[in-house]
Amino acid sequence: MDTKQGVLDILNDLTGEDLSDQMDENIFDNGLMDSMASVQMLLSLQEKFDIDVPVSEFKRAEWDTPNKIVAKVESLENE
Amino acid sequence: MSNKRRLWQIFGPVICAFILLLVVFLIPWERTFSKQTIYEAAASQNTTVFKGSTMKQEAFDDGYVPFYGSSELSRFDPLHPSVIAEKYHRNYRPFLLGGPGSQSLAQFLGMQGTAKQLKNKKAVVIISPQWFTKKGQDPNAFALYYSPLQACNFLLSAKNNKTDRYAAKRLLEMPDVKGEIKNSLQQIAEGKKLTTFQKFYLNNRRRMLSNEDNFFSAFQLRDRVNKIQKKAKVLPSAYSVKALNKVAAEQAAMHTNSNNLGIDNTFYRTRLPKKVLKRLKGSQRNFDYVHSVEYGDFQLMLEQFAKQHTNVLFIIPPINGKWMKYTGLSEKMYQESVAKIEHQLVNQGFENVVDLSKRGNEKYFMEDTIHLGWKGWVAVDQAVKPFMELPNRRYNYYMSNYYYSKKWQNKDDVKSVDLTNKNSLKAK
Amino acid sequence: MNFNFINLQPYSNPQYFIYLMIALIPIILGLYFGHRFKTYEAIFSIVFLFLIFDGSHWQQGVNLLIWLVYEFILTFAYQYYRHHGKNKTWVFSLAVILAIIPLAAVKYLTAFPDNSIGFVIGFLGISYVTFKTVQVIMEMRDGAIKKVDPVTYARFLLFFPTISSGPIDRYRRFKKDYEKVPTRDAYITDLQYAVRYLFQGFLYKFVIGWFFGTYWLPKITASALVVGNANGGLKLSWWVLAYMYCYSMYLFFDFAGYSLFAVSISYFMGIHTPMNFNKPFISKNIKDFWNRWHMTLSFWFRDYIYMRFSFFAMKKKLFKNRIRLSQVSYFLLFLIQGFWHGLTWYYIVYGIFHASAICINDMWLRFKGKHKKQIPSNKFTEWFAIFLTFNVVCFSFLIFSGFLSQLWFGWK
Repeated sequence: MDTKQGVLDILNDLTGEDLSDQMDENIFDNGLMDSMASVQMLLSLQEKFDIDVPVSEFKRAEWDTPNKIVAKVESLENE
Repeated sequence: MSNKRRLWQIFGPVICAFILLLVVFLIPWERTFSKQTIYEAAASQNTTVFKGSTMKQEAFDDGYVPFYGSSELSRFDPLHPSVIAEKYHRNYRPFLLGGPGSQSLAQFLGMQGTAKQLKNKKAVVIISPQWFTKKGQDPNAFALYYSPLQACNFLLSAKNNKTDRYAAKRLLEMPDVKGEIKNSLQQIAEGKKLTTFQKFYLNNRRRMLSNEDNFFSAFQLRDRVNKIQKKAKVLPSAYSVKALNKVAAEQAAMHTNSNNLGIDNTFYRTRLPKKVLKRLKGSQRNFDYVHSVEYGDFQLMLEQFAKQHTNVLFIIPPINGKWMKYTGLSEKMYQESVAKIEHQLVNQGFENVVDLSKRGNEKYFMEDTIHLGWKGWVAVDQAVKPFMELPNRRYNYYMSNYYYSKKWQNKDDVKSVDLTNKNSLKAK
Repeated sequence: MNFNFINLQPYSNPQYFIYLMIALIPIILGLYFGHRFKTYEAIFSIVFLFLIFDGSHWQQGVNLLIWLVYEFILTFAYQYYRHHGKNKTWVFSLAVILAIIPLAAVKYLTAFPDNSIGFVIGFLGISYVTFKTVQVIMEMRDGAIKKVDPVTYARFLLFFPTISSGPIDRYRRFKKDYEKVPTRDAYITDLQYAVRYLFQGFLYKFVIGWFFGTYWLPKITASALVVGNANGGLKLSWWVLAYMYCYSMYLFFDFAGYSLFAVSISYFMGIHTPMNFNKPFISKNIKDFWNRWHMTLSFWFRDYIYMRFSFFAMKKKLFKNRIRLSQVSYFLLFLIQGFWHGLTWYYIVYGIFHASAICINDMWLRFKGKHKKQIPSNKFTEWFAIFLTFNVVCFSFLIFSGFLSQLWFGWK
């Protein structure tokens, strides 16, 4: 499965917006995401990609744009 | 950019700021306070004012007379000396110096900066026998009134005589005295001269502290001006002792109706809740004001007045009679201490002594437990008024170092002096 | 012999800074020339800790030592357990509860000053060190921290610039800084920030904070009490409003100043302790506010309570509705924060107030998201949002200050 599309689907589900044209937008700063949404995102990522992301590893600065999320997921998948 | 340059950009401004600060603090600044500020300061009983110099100096040059005392000075009912002086446009205004816990030693130190201004002038002292506990000045309270500026003043004018050695020795016993001031006091106490370095240090320290005093002593004054003006409205427009006593009785009746000890309602409520009240019953049976180092510290104050040739009115307040019975404080002991204080005063030529100590049973004389109020303030004014009408002149006293001795501090059975016969006093 | 202890409460007076700066010189020179003198740093820290907890504060010092031994045993017992590959939830919960017990006991006991206990309980900064311990245990559970090094752990917990009131650092972040020596260039930048923060701290705490807290606040308090008592009823007057703003400003400048000192001293030591405040009064909404106010604390609560609880609840499907879950989590978070501040009505009301405010804020954001077209968004609405948030926040601080309690019931 295409990681990028998978991530975008999850984000679309959470924010109600298609973010494919704003891959480097900070989604916390513009109010699309908050802590609750990020928890949900982590859970969805776990289900979809079968990766384990403990809450301790979640640092906002590393997950704040769609591109960063995709990169994170890819690195975790390859572990 | 080179590292050196960056470091300079970081620390350069800091270094410059410190140098600038040092320069600002070491320049001898002059300033005068506005009349309004001095007026506020005079009634504020602020410890910053107490510890400072400039404010007091200007005030004493401008018709203010120091009222040295302690917590009774804050009993601001309409008969308070500050209110009366305001209402009847007296030729003086009281400058209140002291507060809770300020005893002779703190007062002596506080007086250092104003020797010149009080030369051949007048002062009033409300001297409470409660000061004369075994250990004298409470070190914790001293911390509130300790002024390094005045300590510098004292040290830089100290001589090798009994008074200065004794003062240095006593100050050294106070835990807040620290650093080079402590070392210098050690020298004086041992009868040695200050070293050149000490003089240099103290001079600069004094300059800094006195600038600080100039810059900041007008801050945070407790503004009692409104209070004074409001209270003054209650007083009769024409001065008469009878009318004042009438107002005093009315006011006191209104403010002491919560208890049968004749204690101000607020004081009774906040300071004497049931638990405390119960604990205090009979608790002062063994209090002793006769044997005390305070007699030595009091002598320091007297010596300072003598040095200034100041004409001083001493007022000795009583204790609320009902309260005295309640706590079990001994009247006999109290009168013994009063006699000892009077002896020390009169024998050295301080003749203006007003002994109110036996009037604690008069109704409405006291504001609460040990503090003068209402009719007590009227009695104070009856002494203050004629005293202030006297012309200023140089007074000479006959001081004796005997009063610093342990022997005097622990002496019993001092005969009471007959204060009514002024002529016999003069003859001595 | 009369033995006078020198006792120095952190950042309380100019002398403290002078002693501190002198003691820092070897560390600064060391880092500049590429060395971290760990032994000297340890001695230096112990001396300054000793100066906080000696003399009349010695009982607190003893409590700190007992606490430290206790938490060390707990942490390393849990690490031992984890190293054996086990990760039961109940063991983890037990460890967290045991870690919090001393703090909870102190909070409980200090709430009843009348039941005077014969000894001093707790010590300055117990909350902040407890937060650090809990964080380490939680990250061990997740496997994010594999091995805790006892010396680094002790240095982390007792890092003296932040011991009394934070900011709350994170173990892994601290360890990274502590183990490396910055390059000269990076260290000069650190110094640049250190000096700037130090002076900003002076300005905040000793000048602006002083004016609000020491100069104006007592006057306003007195007037508000007098006028309020004369008015009767709810005893309200314009003075209460003045109190609200003055107290809020005091709270910010005093605490931000303090935090700046802590960050500044850390930077001198080459440790990048995180900042605690980021212009909180220009927040656009309450959520934004909590991302700018007392940040290390609110992030701690966010990461270790809010996110963990909602992760757990979502995984177990305790709530059908995500919105309901977030609201429950907010109330949980702010109530815990309220209780942590102290067991008095106004801290708890403060917690409820903020939880409600943030839930309302969320509702509004959802509403706004749905009606994007109809709701105007321009410079004016932005300023209005800031203004509104500011006032809501100041009102919450009025509750927090306990002044209403003093006004209405005569106690604080």
